[in-house]
Order: sequence, then C-alpha cells, then structure tokens
Amino acid sequence: MSSQDNLTDDSTDFGYERVKTAEKAGRVREVFDSVAAQYDLMNDLMSGGLHRLWKRFTIELSAVRSGQTVLDIAGGTGDLAAKFSKLVGADGKVILADINAAMLSVGRDRLIDKGALSNIDVVQADAQFLPFEDNSIDCITIAFGLRNVTDKAKALRSMHRVLKPGGRLLVLEFSKPTSPLLSKVYDAYSFSALPAMGKLITDDADSYRYLAESIRKHPDQESLLEMVEDAGFVDCRYHNMTGGIVAVHRGIKG
Amino acid sequence: MEHDPAVIAGVSLAIETVIAKAVELSPGTQSRLKQLHPLAIEIHCTQPALKIFVSVEEDGGIQIASYRETKATVSIEGTWLDFSRVATASDPAAALINGDVKISGDTAPLMQLQTIVGELDIDWEAPIVNAIGPVLGHQLAQVIRAITAASGTTHRRMKRQLSEFILEEARLSPPKPELDSFFTAVDDLVLRTDRIESRLKRIKKRAASLTGAIE
Ligand SMILES: C[S@@+](CC[C@H](N)C(=O)[O-])C[C@H]1O[C@@H](n2cnc3c(N)ncnc32)[C@H](O)[C@@H]1O
Repeated sequence: MSSQDNLTDDSTDFGYERVKTAEKAGRVREVFDSVAAQYDLMNDLMSGGLHRLWKRFTIELSAVRSGQTVLDIAGGTGDLAAKFSKLVGADGKVILADINAAMLSVGRDRLIDKGALSNIDVVQADAQFLPFEDNSIDCITIAFGLRNVTDKAKALRSMHRVLKPGGRLLVLEFSKPTSPLLSKVYDAYSFSALPAMGKLITDDADSYRYLAESIRKHPDQESLLEMVEDAGFVDCRYHNMTGGIVAVHRGIKG
Repeated sequence: MEHDPAVIAGVSLAIETVIAKAVELSPGTQSRLKQLHPLAIEIHCTQPALKIFVSVEEDGGIQIASYRETKATVSIEGTWLDFSRVATASDPAAALINGDVKISGDTAPLMQLQTIVGELDIDWEAPIVNAIGPVLGHQLAQVIRAITAASGTTHRRMKRQLSEFILEEARLSPPKPELDSFFTAVDDLVLRTDRIESRLKRIKKRAASLTGAIE
C-alpha cells in the first residue's frame, strides 16, 4: 500500500494517481485552496458530524494541561486549536500550523470570531520541516493531515524532534474499517456520495474524489503504528473509532 | 466487546450539552458549581468494562470524558447490573448507599453535585436516545435520572440515610449550616420527585417491551 510513498523512482501517490514527488505538495495545495471556504461545512456534512466526536476523544487522549505548549500541525481551520487554547489557558500556548495559507486564513478568522486568538500563534509550516526548536513542545496533534503529506516518515521524525522528552504525538486519521461489511458500505459512500456532495456544495467533485482516494491509500492501523515506532516514538498504541473508519495513534517521545 | 470511543464521546457531548443548557437557565447554579471545582468523579463500570469521568471545571462547567490522566477525587464502582439496580430500586438513594456500588474518596462534593444537578429540570431521555438509540439510551437515562434525582423516598428516611451515610460510611462531618442547606434542598427534591416518579412509571411501562428485548 502506501508504504510505497518513499520509492526511489521519485514518484508518489496523489489519491490513486502517481505524481512526481516534487509535485504532490502543489497538487494537495490546490485541493485545499479549493475547499478552504466551505471546509467546515463539508466536514460536518461528510462525516455526519462525527468528526467532532473523533476530535473530542483525541483531545481527551492528549491530556493537555494548563501552561503547556501544543502544536496542531495540518491544523487547517483551527478546530483543535480552539479547544486546546482553552485547555492550556493564558500561561500556555497553542501553535496552529498548516502548509496552506487559505486554510489558515479561514482558521484565523474563525478563531477571532471565537475570541480565542490570544494564546494561539498561527504559523504557515510544512509538517516535514517543522520550524520549531528541538524539545520545545508538550503535545503535537495532526488530524486528517498526515495522509496529505508527501513523506510521512520524514514528517513523523520532524514531530519527534520538536517534542519535549515525555511529550506526546496524536495522529487522528482515516484508517481501515474492521468489518468487511462496513468497509463496503463505506466505499460506496465515499466514492459516490462524497464526490457528489462535494460537487453540489463546492462545485468541486475532483477534490473530494482525491480525499476519498487518499483515504484508501493511507496506511492501515498496524502499518501506521509501525511508522510511528520507526520515527522513534515509544509506548505507541492506537484506538479505533466508528468501526475503524478512523483511528487515533499515540506515541510518546522517550 | 470494546466500546467505541466515538459513541461514548457522542453520549458525553449530549449530556454535557443538556446540563450546560439547564445551568444557563438556572440563575445561581453556575456559581454553586464553581465551588465544587476540582471535583472529579471516576465512574467505573466493571461489567461491561467502561470508565467515565465527570469533572467540574474551574468555570463551573461540567465535563464528561472517557479518558483522563489526572486522579479523580472520588470514585464509584460497580457492574452495570449494580447501577441498574440502583436505578430501578423503589428507593434509589438507599440502594446507592446500601447496594453493591462502591463509593470511595471525598463524597461530600459528590453529594452536592448530585443535589445541584438533581434540582435542574433536565430531560435526559431525548438527547441520550438521540445519541445511542432507544434501547440502551433509555436504560442509561434511567440510571442518570435515578442517581441525580434520588426519587421516591420519604423525606425523613432520606434524611436519616444520608446523614448516616455521610457520618459513618464517609466518616465526614460537614458543618451544620452546610448540612441544613443540603436538607432544604432535599426537601425540595422530594416534592418534585413525587411528580417525576409518576412520570417515570409511565416511561418505564412504555419502555418495558424494549428493555425486555435485550435482557
Ligand atoms: C483534511 S484537512 C484537516 C484540517 C484539520 N486538521 C481538521 O481536522 O479539520 C488537511 C490539512 O492538511 C494540510 N496539509 C497538507 N499537507 C501538509 C503538510 N505537508 N504540512 C502541513 N500541513 C499540510 C492541508 O493544507 C489541510 O489544511
């Protein structure tokens, strides 16, 4: 599957297509440029609101406390950042980071509306090359972002580097449904209903087709667990949610 | 079977939301809740295995979670059957105290929380059923209702049981004014619970067939 990401032939997956490694970031950017304005609405519609519950449990697992520094990478429109901002309080700090300026600008506006910006830094950054000091962050979350990153292993290593010893990483991502029946229903949903919905609302079926395909290309639970371990994390484990449609992986920097 | 954290998150969110709404509509409740911080209750269901944490945050908000690393200040432990027995007992308060449900830690703030939430006029049924369907949803709503409303007992009995419980089991002796205001609240509750009880009976009857189906 997508362990093929780092092939030496200088190509990588973009959904079901193969593209030049150097091109993937640009293609991913086009997708999120195109969906940014309607992203929150689509998120709710596509998941039937479930993404809120997946994120809620991820935040519980973070066990973030007041005064800590949290990085939400691929944070998009700032869902998690807003929640973390409350948890870390005035003495803590949240960094909302994303590679895409359009997503970040929607995020910044939303955070201003919520009055949550005082302890949040908004930073444009690539998960593979995090522009933060070594050992500087208590908790990193990446929600529905890792599958879009060109070199996932590199991104995981970069996250490991900036985390403080004892700090934790949480990867929330689509995964593999544990039951074959659910898997079939889910396939039907995401390959036909999802792009259709995308077309209806954003007039952009292709972006949502990419999303569905990229979900299938993403490593399953066990492969991702291995990748997190390979990046140097210890105490790694994952929790399936909604029948394995998504999973949240946890790793600790030893 | 393992529990799906997303389902639990859905139920927690539903419960948190109805409580928050009820608190908003009840003047003074927020500040009473604030005083209970940092109360953190661990509800440990041993069979089926499930842990839920209920905590009162600094701002008086009630939070429900299925994962927590900070130690709870009080814990309640029992099987689902133990909890259901409390819920269906003719005298839930007594059943909670005398039954197989184990309570340990600082119970005084727990009782206060019970009173405060009990005083709120909350319809638990609809939001929980919405989140997890009618069968389990009704059972769970019933348990929460029983635990928070402590219905169906006479004032005197309740007073005796609670003071016995507080003094003996929990080996706590709260100052008299605190106890008095607690009992005034209980007074109030008993009046209201009679009404709730008859409503409960009707609901029970209606749901009997459903509950029977999974037993
Ligand atoms: C599906 S969105 C998820 C947004 C948000 N975390 C959420 O859960 O709602 C994926 C995000 O990943 C970002 N992204 C893609 N590649 C990235 C990279 N290499 N580094 C940082 N962010 C990236 C995209 O710009 C997009 O905002």
